[in-house]
Amino acid sequence: MSAASAPAPAEGAAPGGPPTRIELRNVSRWYGNVVAVNAVTCEIGPGITGLLGPNGAGKSTVLHLVAGLLHPSGGAVLIDGIRPAGDPRVYRKIGLVPEREAVQPFLTGREFVFMNARLQDLAGAEHATARAISLVDLEDAQDRAIGTYSKGMRQRIKIAGALVHEPAILLLDEPFNGMDPRQRLQMMELLRTLAAGGAVVLISTHILEELNDLATNVLVMVEGRLAASGHYREIRKLMTDRPHTFTVRSADDRRLAASLLALPSVFSVELSEAGVSIRTSDRGAFTRALPKVARDAATTLYEVLPTDESLESVFAYLVQR
Amino acid sequence: MIGAVDRTVMWLTFRQLFVRRRLVAAVLFSLVPLVITLIFRAGHERTSQETLRFALMLYREIAVGTLLPLAAVVFGTAAFGGEFEEGTIVYLLVKPVARWRVVASKYVVAALSTTLVMAPAVALPWLVLGGGAVPPTVPVAYAAGIGAGALLYCALFILMGISSKRALVLGLLYIVALEFVMSRQVAGVRSLSIREFVLTIVGKLGEGQPGLVAGTVTMDTVWTMGALILAGSLGLAIHRLRTFELAERL
Repeated sequence: MSAASAPAPAEGAAPGGPPTRIELRNVSRWYGNVVAVNAVTCEIGPGITGLLGPNGAGKSTVLHLVAGLLHPSGGAVLIDGIRPAGDPRVYRKIGLVPEREAVQPFLTGREFVFMNARLQDLAGAEHATARAISLVDLEDAQDRAIGTYSKGMRQRIKIAGALVHEPAILLLDEPFNGMDPRQRLQMMELLRTLAAGGAVVLISTHILEELNDLATNVLVMVEGRLAASGHYREIRKLMTDRPHTFTVRSADDRRLAASLLALPSVFSVELSEAGVSIRTSDRGAFTRALPKVARDAATTLYEVLPTDESLESVFAYLVQR
Repeated sequence: MIGAVDRTVMWLTFRQLFVRRRLVAAVLFSLVPLVITLIFRAGHERTSQETLRFALMLYREIAVGTLLPLAAVVFGTAAFGGEFEEGTIVYLLVKPVARWRVVASKYVVAALSTTLVMAPAVALPWLVLGGGAVPPTVPVAYAAGIGAGALLYCALFILMGISSKRALVLGLLYIVALEFVMSRQVAGVRSLSIREFVLTIVGKLGEGQPGLVAGTVTMDTVWTMGALILAGSLGLAIHRLRTFELAERL
């Protein structure tokens, strides 16, 4: 990514005017009897916001509501006070990178981006196309049919298509899928530059680490609800500091259980056929103390298994909190 | 952008409709009447009357009765159907282009493509048979009728493409049931048959041409029903796309 091709200030964010804002006011969306999004209220301003949650949490539905591709069943979605659903003018401000890989396979990369520029009615469509392709570092492959692209290249050409009109709002649904680490770093740098230029960047992901050093704000969605929101570090801490459960198998489970009860970080111990089930309030302190406790109890550890590390259980904790 | 259509949407639709495989199929398809004509010519010497009778049968049964609805169903349903199936429709929907313009642009391209594929099907047999036996009024009347038929069929099939995942199957069922079977057997159904409308237009334009079999409906019916099919199908298609939500078919 060359410094010379850094993006210009976002389109739609009037210089000196109020910054672009996305508002969700008590937004719900049902599909028949299934609630995909449940009474979500939040405000998203310039900068990078991460929409975090497990699969099926309603992240894509929120992005599609913001993009006006879905009407809310209840509440209101507003972009600078305008409801996006059914108002094509709002798309001058929005760039959307959908999760689905689908891109017209018979077009070359350049044709695809140029098509997006023309549909935005850009005066300098050729120039904007070249600039967007350079931003995603695909100049070498721009004249090849998209059907021959790798997954990561397709993802990047989709991003170029969404960026070509320098939108004030960029919505990205799982944008790092299929990218290698180098491409991820480049993309993160690009998103940071866009955000620094005043754009609202909303990224959905189910991997918290993808938002590390990237998102200033994180919205956590679980089962259609907004379970938590805050700075990346706050959310990270919330997830790390939650109670953890381990199952430990040793040469003498009963003796080990008795010794573990004395640890201040352990608040419950349960013996079962599978071993000792331990609930701890401090994961780090417990894992550091465990080998020492086992040694002092003169028992051998066979297996230490964290039993609630699945993404679902982490998010379930945030909901129950 | 020119008036009701968006040139970029039109360009994209042309590219979509004429992907390599479909282009080859379209060329072969448009050559079917020529092949039949060459086979006819390869036999013994034909009189002018026989040649005229053959040309009229070829245009009526093969071009209007079979190839026109088939070309229209392929192009009409593929103009949108592919976009929904692949999920690429999203790139058109998140653009500042009114959805009615998207429908209008795709419709114009589908109708033009159908006419384009049908043009050699009308012109080439006439060139082979010669203007002496088949007066130019005949291919001109059929070309105009086919153009009008393409407009009507494509409006109907565009609506099917937006409304159903199985638009092609639905379209083929419609052709077989209504156009091939019912309109030939049940007199009342003829006022719903686009094939009959085309033949009526041909009859009107080729009036006085001996041997030309016109459609059984009146020009008033053609105007009324044609307007209803056109306005109804395109109106519904625009309404469907305006109210379309991503989760419906993706």
